[in-house]
Amino acid sequence: MKILLVEDDVEAAQHIAVTLDEEGHQTTLAGNGRDGLAAAQSGDFDLLVVDRMLPDLDGLTLVANLRAGRIDTPVLFLTAMSGLQDRVTGLHAGGDDYLVKPFEFVELLARVTALGRRPRRLAVEMTLQAGDLVVDVLRRRVRRAGREILLQPREFRILEYLMRNQDNTVTRTMLLENVWEYHFDPRTNIVESHLSRLRTKVDKGFTPELIHTIRGTGYCLRVPS
Amino acid sequence: MLSAGLFCLAALLLFTITYYYAEKYAEQGELEEIGVEFARTVGDARASNFLLLPEVIARRLRERGAEHSIYLLQDRAGRKLAGNVPPMKPIEGPTRLSRNLSGDLRYPVAEGHTLENGQYLLIGQDLVLLGDMHAVMVRAFASSIGLTLLFAILGGLLISRYILRRVSAVSETSRAIIAGDLSQRIRLRGVDDEFDHLAISVNAMLDRIVELMKHTQQVTNDIAHDLRTPLTRLRQRLERARRADSGKEARLEVLDRSIEDVDAILKTFGALLRIAQIEAGGRASSLVAFDFSRLLTGICEDFLPAARDHGRHLSAQVSSGLIVRGDRELLMQMTVNLIDNAIHHSTAGADIRITADSVGGAARVIVADSGGGIPPEERERVFRPFYRLEPSRKAEGSGLGLSLVAAVVKQHRATISLEDNLPGLRVVVVFPPCEDQGAGAAHRELAFDAG
Repeated sequence: MKILLVEDDVEAAQHIAVTLDEEGHQTTLAGNGRDGLAAAQSGDFDLLVVDRMLPDLDGLTLVANLRAGRIDTPVLFLTAMSGLQDRVTGLHAGGDDYLVKPFEFVELLARVTALGRRPRRLAVEMTLQAGDLVVDVLRRRVRRAGREILLQPREFRILEYLMRNQDNTVTRTMLLENVWEYHFDPRTNIVESHLSRLRTKVDKGFTPELIHTIRGTGYCLRVPS
Repeated sequence: MLSAGLFCLAALLLFTITYYYAEKYAEQGELEEIGVEFARTVGDARASNFLLLPEVIARRLRERGAEHSIYLLQDRAGRKLAGNVPPMKPIEGPTRLSRNLSGDLRYPVAEGHTLENGQYLLIGQDLVLLGDMHAVMVRAFASSIGLTLLFAILGGLLISRYILRRVSAVSETSRAIIAGDLSQRIRLRGVDDEFDHLAISVNAMLDRIVELMKHTQQVTNDIAHDLRTPLTRLRQRLERARRADSGKEARLEVLDRSIEDVDAILKTFGALLRIAQIEAGGRASSLVAFDFSRLLTGICEDFLPAARDHGRHLSAQVSSGLIVRGDRELLMQMTVNLIDNAIHHSTAGADIRITADSVGGAARVIVADSGGGIPPEERERVFRPFYRLEPSRKAEGSGLGLSLVAAVVKQHRATISLEDNLPGLRVVVVFPPCEDQGAGAAHRELAFDAG
């Protein structure tokens, strides 16, 4: 993906850029808000990673301007502000996701991938498929190899999220935020507990294994090649 | 001074009003007599068709004395025909004569009418009595005002000296406290007046301030310890690794552990920040009425599998339709923290029970576990940041879980109490009553599956 990174902290920017490029992306750097806005307006990028606190034009205004100009490149905000309202403000300004500094690189990579593949303004698919696993989102029905699988509401949402991010690694934090809407980290590992039960229902007794644990990162639903 | 002035003003007012009414009364009486005299004089002269009127007047003057009586008869043209005052412009009815007409009469009151023959007759009287009364009253009031003024000034001085003394006692003590001596308290005079009440309040405030300062000192020490310890460990490890001549494996190990330490510090930091934000949150920020029952039930369902994996039996009985006015996110985190604590401070096989109902329109939630509990003497202290019960000093978790719970409870003006669950701990949170509290006869019962 072609990524534009707008970040004024030079060292941090370089770390992020190198990490992204190692994953196969092409990162362009902008050191302040105005340069960032100008670059973003060229519309050439697949994803924008924007620091909220920038010296001249702050991140929120930058994105708000872009959206007003009908540019809907996905935006990931980076910020040191972890306040409860800050996230809402960021999303209202037109951001698509929000990552609090400092973050783990795997977290950044996972979210970048998830955002990058998200088709904006296209119809949301209502039937998801991975191998012989079929999920009917509207009717809340799950079948594998023709057999009906009964899932609890939470389990269904986890499966839906994994499938919409098929082939990409999804971190624990992403699951907590999107499936449970917990914007904090409970001490008890509820993600793991739910995942293991989901696996038992969806993978056990079927081949191939679809839900994988990626050590140190998160989970991934994919059809092994 | 002001009160003295007010007293005088009041006295003066009293004087003026009294004098006015007295004067009016005397005048009224006199006018009646004049009226009678007028009628008689006219009656006497009518027989002679008023020709003998001047003689009648002269006779009257002689009888009644010209010193204080007033008689005047003048013709149509205004020429004086009889009497002892100069001619004047005719005035009909009762009147008071002006200075220049009455000479040195003091209170001339008169009544005048134009007669049938066109002549004008005026009969009056000098109210000597009133004059005397006036003098007496002035003397009386002057002396009483004088005395009043004296007393007022004296009294004022005494009172203000007394007040000043009490006030300066307070200022002096305050100055000493401001200078740094927090042990000082304002002295009570034991008379149970407003000053004593003020002193009691201020002293109580000072006690509170001292208590808060001690508390802050304690918290600062705790924070310093809990942040410095991992930072020290981190620094030492890095410094040691730098000196040592170790292979790649060892170095990677150092880096991994260091990242872990940094993460732990950041987590502590983040939690502290979050608590500070909540405490600084301000009352009106996003407090919305919402279905607390649904929130609780949702969280309990979320934790059921994890609790079972940890070997705890989690169950819940939540009345439906409980309404709480608050911040949904904060209450979610508060509940999660309490359940987390219940799971981690109990052992395998423990029971964890969440109950929620409404008591007198107020929503109440209870998280009870059958774990180790908290000894009564520690129950006040566990809400302090970083405070850990001795055995769990080195346990995981930031030690801030209950601090955050306390901050959220305070924000919502709720109350929290820690009780003995016999065995274990019972945490009871009661919210302020909310108007549209559903009775919630129905309740959701959740339990772990037997399977």
